[in-house]
Amino acid sequence: MAKEKDTKPMANTVIGSSIVIDGEITGEEPLTILGTVKGKISVAQSVAVEAGATVEADVEAQTVTVSGRLTGNVVARERLELKPESKMVGDAKSPRIVIADGAGFKGNVDMDV
Amino acid sequence: MADKETVVGPETRISGEVRGEEDLIVRGRIDGRVQLTQTLTVEKGATVQADVDVRHLVVSGTVVGTIVASESVKLTSTARVVGDLASPRVMMEAGAAYRGRVDMGDIAAARAAVSSRAVQRPAASEKLAIHPAPPRMATAAKAVVSGKAAAPVAPAVPAARSTIPAAAVGALGPASPPAFPRVAGAMGAMSPAWAKKKIRRR
Repeated sequence: MAKEKDTKPMANTVIGSSIVIDGEITGEEPLTILGTVKGKISVAQSVAVEAGATVEADVEAQTVTVSGRLTGNVVARERLELKPESKMVGDAKSPRIVIADGAGFKGNVDMDV
Repeated sequence: MADKETVVGPETRISGEVRGEEDLIVRGRIDGRVQLTQTLTVEKGATVQADVDVRHLVVSGTVVGTIVASESVKLTSTARVVGDLASPRVMMEAGAAYRGRVDMGDIAAARAAVSSRAVQRPAASEKLAIHPAPPRMATAAKAVVSGKAAAPVAPAVPAARSTIPAAAVGALGPASPPAFPRVAGAMGAMSPAWAKKKIRRR
């Protein structure tokens, strides 16, 4: 396995654009989503919802970056970022929240103030 | 179409259903069901405990579940597979461990059987219970089954089985409860006077 990690330094988890996952994703490494995930996501590191991706799930991660569409409650232990063109519906809980110009958001914000 | 390949990393686990129209490489773990129109690669160290319906399947890790591959299945030397397998082309390398039935014939029937089943169920334990018989080795010329492959099946199976303790326990569960009270009763009847005395003294 170490050999594979060497040949592929980006040995993270990537969900491709045509993939649909219905269930739960748990992990200890960065997760990049280009496709569709429904259910629950719980990872120790970062979650990136790329442009064109659809996530209908509660998300728990260290950092969450949304460029696509996310419906669900998000708990980002470090940072939540909504990029331009992103759409998010759900409650956001994170000490740092960045909402870019052009992002769409509907839900509660909890920064633990 | 996909600029990035789909990879389930070594530290990631997916439980549920995965569907798609592109290649999927598993280095971590998937439980549930996998349905792809392309290739599923289960790398060494990875575990897929799921019903699998794909075009090509390449296994170097562990797969437990019913497999339907519309074009080919390849079990490499490090593969550990338990479950029935249906595909027109089946390749097994020396060292591969496999237990289950091989069907190189009617894929449509096998696929219908798999797809009619619910997602969240312990496919593996049921298969183990129903088909304890050794695999019927494929006879087609395309299948490369080395003599060595047959021998390691037994030692290798515990490794595969160890990944499904919960399912196995679940299968055994219904049988054990009736035994328990009977054993307890017997123990009570047989427990000698000195044992009771000891308890009383305390």
